[in-house]
Amino acid sequence: MAATRRLQKELGDLLSEDSALKKSFRDIIVDESNILLWRGLIVPHMPPYNKGAFKIEISFPAEYPFKPPKVIFKTKIYHPNIDEKGQVCLPIINPENWKPATKTDQVVNSLLALINDPEPEHPLRGDLAEEYTKDRKKFLRNAEEFTKKFSEKRPAD
Amino acid sequence: MGEAAGASSPSSTPQLSQLIVTVSSAKLTGGGGLFTSKPDPYLELSVDGQPPRKTDVARKTTTPKWDEHFTVLVTPYSKLDLKVLSSNTVRTDSVMGHAVLDLHPLLQNQNGKFKNFTKSVDLRTEGRGKVGDLELCLNGIEVDMRQYPKRPRNGPRASNTANGSASAASSSTAIHTNASPSQRNNTSQQGDGNRRPAPRPPGRTPPPVPPPPNANATPQNRNSAPTSAAAPSTSAEVTPTTATTPTAAAAAVPGANEPLPPGWEMRTDQQGRPYYVDHNARITTWEKPQPLPRGWERRTDQRGRVYYVDHNTRTTTWQRPSAESLNNYAEWQSWRGGRNINDFTQRFLYPQQQTASQEADPLGPLPDGWEKRVDTNNRVYFVNHRNRTTQWEDPRTQGLSKEDPLPDGWEMRYTAEGVRYFVDHNTRTTTFQDPRGGPSKGPKGAFGVPIQYERSFRWKLGQFRYLCNSNALPGHVKIQVSRDNLFEDSFAQIMRLQPFDLRRRLYIIFKGEEGLDYGGLAREWFFHVSHDVLNPMYCLFEYASNSNYCLQINPASSVNPDHLQYFKFIGRFIAMALYHGKFIDSGFTLPFYKRMLSKKLTIKDLETIDSEFYQSLLWVKENNIEECGLELYFCADFEILGKVEQHDLKEGGSEIKVTEENKEEYINLMTNWRFTRGVEDQTKAFLDGFNEVVPLQWLQYFDERELEHYQRNNKQVVWFWKMVREIDNEKRTRLLQFVTGTCRLPVGGFAELMGSNGPQRFCIERVGKETWLPRSHTCFNRLDLPPYRSYDQLVEKLNYAIEETEGFGQE
Repeated sequence: MAATRRLQKELGDLLSEDSALKKSFRDIIVDESNILLWRGLIVPHMPPYNKGAFKIEISFPAEYPFKPPKVIFKTKIYHPNIDEKGQVCLPIINPENWKPATKTDQVVNSLLALINDPEPEHPLRGDLAEEYTKDRKKFLRNAEEFTKKFSEKRPAD
Repeated sequence: MGEAAGASSPSSTPQLSQLIVTVSSAKLTGGGGLFTSKPDPYLELSVDGQPPRKTDVARKTTTPKWDEHFTVLVTPYSKLDLKVLSSNTVRTDSVMGHAVLDLHPLLQNQNGKFKNFTKSVDLRTEGRGKVGDLELCLNGIEVDMRQYPKRPRNGPRASNTANGSASAASSSTAIHTNASPSQRNNTSQQGDGNRRPAPRPPGRTPPPVPPPPNANATPQNRNSAPTSAAAPSTSAEVTPTTATTPTAAAAAVPGANEPLPPGWEMRTDQQGRPYYVDHNARITTWEKPQPLPRGWERRTDQRGRVYYVDHNTRTTTWQRPSAESLNNYAEWQSWRGGRNINDFTQRFLYPQQQTASQEADPLGPLPDGWEKRVDTNNRVYFVNHRNRTTQWEDPRTQGLSKEDPLPDGWEMRYTAEGVRYFVDHNTRTTTFQDPRGGPSKGPKGAFGVPIQYERSFRWKLGQFRYLCNSNALPGHVKIQVSRDNLFEDSFAQIMRLQPFDLRRRLYIIFKGEEGLDYGGLAREWFFHVSHDVLNPMYCLFEYASNSNYCLQINPASSVNPDHLQYFKFIGRFIAMALYHGKFIDSGFTLPFYKRMLSKKLTIKDLETIDSEFYQSLLWVKENNIEECGLELYFCADFEILGKVEQHDLKEGGSEIKVTEENKEEYINLMTNWRFTRGVEDQTKAFLDGFNEVVPLQWLQYFDERELEHYQRNNKQVVWFWKMVREIDNEKRTRLLQFVTGTCRLPVGGFAELMGSNGPQRFCIERVGKETWLPRSHTCFNRLDLPPYRSYDQLVEKLNYAIEETEGFGQE
């Protein structure tokens, strides 16, 4: 497959010991029969999300890298830019911004940045954005509680 | 063709009369074990071996009720061949029962006239005897049966049961007359054995009747048999040559003591001069009426003018045909015969097509199925045998033509010396002066007309409409559909008709409704059918992308095993819409139109159908791709029906890495593949269907943008959002653009909007407070609307958002 070589290379880079993301994007599972679907665990290191971990799925189109991948959260998260379905607006994989040279580690990096630093100006959940801007303490409290309640267990190390 | 032309009665060349056959219903008893489920019966009616007419298919019943009327042309000796078949999508339709109805004995019982004459006919099959009853009702025909005595022999009845009367015709003609061979010969000269309209020169010129080449020509109907009883019928040769050169034996044509046609009366005026009253048309004439030659019919147009229809050649003329004029025509035809046969071989024996004259033609050979001819005025014209159209323009240069069409009613002719002159049929004058005016306004452009006109869409449309009008066929074609089975009904009807029939005036009938189609029903039919067939739900077409609701062929259309038939149907249908000037409820992608015009597709064209793919390919083109790990090879993946398939862009492509040096080639190959992947067969089927009705060459005047404009000059968008009912369409479009990032809606309306993760309906979220402006999330077709206090406030904010803040708040 045309996309296979590229994805194998990217996957190899992410799984290597040198990967800058090895702490925050882990447990990467790729089914041998389908290299177009990656599963992984996002492990944020800043409050309020550092109390848990979040499963995500990255799906690559057959036309990759001519078309961008899609990212979706499989774990519920209390975040102004991620809606109840796990959808997220990530500028780097937005069709207008996509470049065939963009690599998946850049995508994950950008996702981590958004998690740690919400953008209430472009919310998918208006209520959370409002809370985030008006009453940051309340937001952090709620987010932490939500994370403890619904998120995945963080890896031991 | 099956009837004998009255060899025993010199006076009666049987005239064709209209007969309305109402096919009411049938009861099928013989089904039983053959059909595990109930059949889908329909009836085929054929008169004397003519192409059959069909009823609709009745669904799952052994007691079908059709109640369909067919108007057919018959003689008192005609036989109706009736077959009940069971429709089958997989196998060929099977005959469930068959009957032959001989009109002559029935007419004798009914005194030569059918008035609500109902008849129950036994349906039989070979070997199984009676399998059911068929109820018919006959109306029309009115003849004096004294003129039509019972035939001397039993006629070809026995052989008539097998497969229509084709065999019957030949057997009867061998015995009685050479009428049939003559007609067959005429048609076979035109290319094949099917009944088809004779190619005519374009325009509405009546069939040419050149001056009599032989003054002593015997007045003789060119199609009828030698009518002299003296000519022993068995001696009439069945060779084609005798058919077109009638024997001189026919001395007994319209003689003095011949009876008048029905409805005519002879009177004498005060001076004792005889004159003739036609009670049918309420006219009088000095000339003694002669019965119309066989196959001719007299009709009256909307303005009360009498004209004559020649059903043999499907032409009309103002001139009453006389035996003499037709004989002259026959002579002329036989003189021309040699050349026609020559044309025939050129057309069908492909290797021989390269004749000297064609090799010398700098434009190369004509496209497949085209033929160059010369009309009686020595003007060259072109016949398209595929869809039976004619035109003046050379198809190879169409759209680049040097001349614009003549004004309405004008015709160009050539004198014997080859000087062209112009006939104005409006004023019945001729002139050497070109009515299109001399050197006119401004410089001429590539089209040979002043530049100011050549680019005008109206001018091009005029060219196209001219071709449509000059290839219009007489009569109308009925299309009967039910509203709840619109797609399938329309498919069945359109596909069972001959493509050229689809250029007749349309007469649409919605079953169970009494509307008369004066255009409105056809418009409605086009609208609804286009809405159906193009609906991506049927998987034949898909949207170009999430943000472009133009349609293109769906590469996954093969989920429907009959998809190529459907594409052919849609091709025919779209061509009909163009031909009849009707709207289509959607538009295709620009590259699709380009493909129709066989124009080369470029990377830029990708932008309209797949902007992401375009952007990426452009990025590859504009950036140095070495050392950024693109890992591109000369191959591409394509997912179809959940299966990813790899395609090598060139031989061994999966092992050839894309580099700065070869990336240009890669981009070209990739562009081409992106447009054709998975849709080649479907495109071909579509274009085939289209071309059968309207030659693709006719589109050559247009560019793809104009083609798009022409098919889309309707407002497709169905507006139903209550909050925006008050604003005008332009603002609605902007609003849609604001929320969804596109100004068009999918065929199914808002319900089928796509988000970046699949179907995502248009939705409104209550977000923020009244001082906020509305926001949109184009990824998810979502509008965030703050809870404004009043309608006016909402209008103000929304207006501000869509008018003043392009890009603001969008993601």
